[in-house]
Amino acid sequence: MNSLSELLKRLADSGVEFVVVGGFAGVLHGSALVTRDLEICAVLTPANIEKLRAALRDLNPRHRMTPQRLSFLQTPAPGETANNLYLQTDWGVVDILSSILGLGDFESVKANSEFFEIGGKKCRLISLPDLVKAKVAMGREKDLLAAKELRAISAKRERDKPGLELK
Amino acid sequence: MPDLGQTAIDEAEKAGFDLSLVDESLRLTAEERARQHDQALALVLEFERIRSTRDEQPKRTAQATG
Repeated sequence: MNSLSELLKRLADSGVEFVVVGGFAGVLHGSALVTRDLEICAVLTPANIEKLRAALRDLNPRHRMTPQRLSFLQTPAPGETANNLYLQTDWGVVDILSSILGLGDFESVKANSEFFEIGGKKCRLISLPDLVKAKVAMGREKDLLAAKELRAISAKRERDKPGLELK
Repeated sequence: MPDLGQTAIDEAEKAGFDLSLVDESLRLTAEERARQHDQALALVLEFERIRSTRDEQPKRTAQATG
């Protein structure tokens, strides 16, 4: 089974505070592009890593960037921190990042974030302007293209906002 | 003064985005968008699986007859 939304619900139940970022954040904002991974920004303290391990335990989480595909259940060792985790699970890919290019660390990303609900849980979502900033900072062709769609979404949302009634 | 919102929409359309899909998506809740995306990704992965099976088949046939 591949389900990024189920994976997201699982993370929402983990007790770790996070912000959804990346392409999937674009989807939640209204993008029609398809992405293959779920990216979240979180503080990767040893305690949070343990909570993430517990949440993903039965999903065979492994480090997809390591040739040996080391198990996340053993690496990093208890008590260690990490900068970023790039994981493959039975429900799909999840990248857990401690900072976002163009924005900064978790607190900076959280500052402008908004809430959305999934599976009855409230989750944080990177703001649309911040997502555009991050895409532009990445600078790859596909990110710049995605930024164009996100700007259009922003414009459409602005238009749909109820205006002030002039009397 | 240029309408920045319209400029953004024009640029996205010029880049090839079908913004009617965005309009559809904006009518949904975030959770519904996530579910719809799951279905689209499942389709993409299924097409990839079919393509890789198809690409593998001639190799196997060539090996068997070669």
